[in-house]
Amino acid sequence: MAVARRRRPLRPATVARIAFVGFWLLFLLIPLYWMFITSIKPSSDYLAVPPIWFPDEPTLLHYTAALYAYRGLDGLINSLIIATSATILSAFFGTLMAYSLARFNTGGQHLSFWVLSQRFLPPIAVVLPIFLIYRVLRLNDTHAGLIIAYTVFTLPVSVWMMFAYFRQMPGSLEEAALVDGCTRWQSFWRVAVPLAVPGIVAAAVFAFIACWTEFFFALILTSRNAFTLPTVFRAFLGFQGALYGEASALAIVSLVPSIALGILVQKHLVRGLTLGAVRG
Amino acid sequence: MRRPTLSEWSDRNFRWLLVAPAVCLILALSIFPLLFSLWVSFVNYDFQIPGHAFVGLKNFEQVVADPVARWSLVVTAILSGSSVLLEFVLGLALALALALTATFRGRGVIMSLIIVPLFISPVVVGQCWALMLQRPFGPTNYILSQLLGFDVTISWLTQAPWNFIALIVADVWQWTPFMFVILLAGLSAVPPHVYEAAELDGVGAWQTFWYITVPHIAPMMLLALTFRLLDAVKLFDIIFVLTGGGPGTNTYSASYYLYTIGFTQFHLSNATAGSWIFLVLTVIVVIFLVRRLLKPAVA
Repeated sequence: MAVARRRRPLRPATVARIAFVGFWLLFLLIPLYWMFITSIKPSSDYLAVPPIWFPDEPTLLHYTAALYAYRGLDGLINSLIIATSATILSAFFGTLMAYSLARFNTGGQHLSFWVLSQRFLPPIAVVLPIFLIYRVLRLNDTHAGLIIAYTVFTLPVSVWMMFAYFRQMPGSLEEAALVDGCTRWQSFWRVAVPLAVPGIVAAAVFAFIACWTEFFFALILTSRNAFTLPTVFRAFLGFQGALYGEASALAIVSLVPSIALGILVQKHLVRGLTLGAVRG
Repeated sequence: MRRPTLSEWSDRNFRWLLVAPAVCLILALSIFPLLFSLWVSFVNYDFQIPGHAFVGLKNFEQVVADPVARWSLVVTAILSGSSVLLEFVLGLALALALALTATFRGRGVIMSLIIVPLFISPVVVGQCWALMLQRPFGPTNYILSQLLGFDVTISWLTQAPWNFIALIVADVWQWTPFMFVILLAGLSAVPPHVYEAAELDGVGAWQTFWYITVPHIAPMMLLALTFRLLDAVKLFDIIFVLTGGGPGTNTYSASYYLYTIGFTQFHLSNATAGSWIFLVLTVIVVIFLVRRLLKPAVA
């Protein structure tokens, strides 16, 4: 049977810690809970005082309205197409570049820092001219236009995460392949890439979440055709009075996939947030 | 002499061929647009007027002379500065609270819950707080009334200074976990024997914190602050959803201001001129902070 553990009396510092974490969890969860409840609450319960924390007759009406009447489903499908395509392109080109930077120190520090600096560009400085260029190329409000934009905007993260990954991977196996007569391309494709798959998957998931949650580029570069899920919320801003439930339902639909993916890769989170500068 | 075959050529230039696609993409979608926008900022670029007459510095002068533009820089500084500072303090507190109580049941669940906001679209976070704060729908005033014992009737989204507080609260809600995750990684890397030695020597908790913990995680603190600050100055999404820049132009951030003159008033040349000013200000920060910080952390 289990060995009975001795319980020490709680120290004041421990009590403070528990209290603070508890306070934070309340602060974190109340808004999410309220949004979830709003999404299943009949409109007649909206303005009750005191607020209704659980409706007697939950409804899924807001979900169908948000997805069909407000075209949330179209946004969802567009988001899936655009985020998936951009993620694949970004992970592919990012891995290529990262390998070159890590193994051959291509371009020295200048090239890698130049890529990194892209991560900190204010989007407004880039998106205005892109809008004007896309206007000429007829790429505004197309899937392709946003896919290209998202590929470029997630490249710094992909490159730097993979850069860090390749650097902590020993190069001896690739050298052995070269000695055995492989070309550099073969040693890259057949030896290095298969070994780097866990890193590539983690980098790709972060790129996907970034595309899935992105709003600013989508707001400016799309309108009626290629609009993504986050931009659908514009429909609820003007007359929020009546549409609390629809907005909440769409929010729930938007956050569930990215949170699920995020939790899956949480052990890579430190690397993801610091672009590989810190090993988690 | 035999001409090299394609495969020999591609093998010799392997490393350049690998970087070429990514570099070309960044050149095409980032560097070229920036140069193009520099040109736009010196001409009169208008969809209604054919031709692009050179106007010199007129666009820049108009932006600099606009009191809304200057106010938007102040708003950006106030909001990003106070949000990042609060996120840092709260993130550090959370990291300290959860780092040293290393093992207890449910720790994994709590860690997963805390990082959840990082994976939510800022638009959704804005929407979530709009639902919390909006009168008469949101429960915030009701909760505060119950806690404080008197009737709280604050218009969080339309009344200064509460609108600023609302924006800061939403930003803190979303990005405190960012600080938490990085600082926790820093705390976990402090070798335990240092603390054991300090305990043996009878060093107090505050002294341990100031003289052992802080110096050990200082590089991580700077890294977290820099990364977060560089993102915080781009502030747009939460403002778009929560206050719409209002009341009036009261909560225009720099990005929001440039968005409105570019895409609702279509003063495209003014917007590009303004975004170049904003870009230069950001680049100065990047050069000062990122270059200096990342070298030791990466090496």
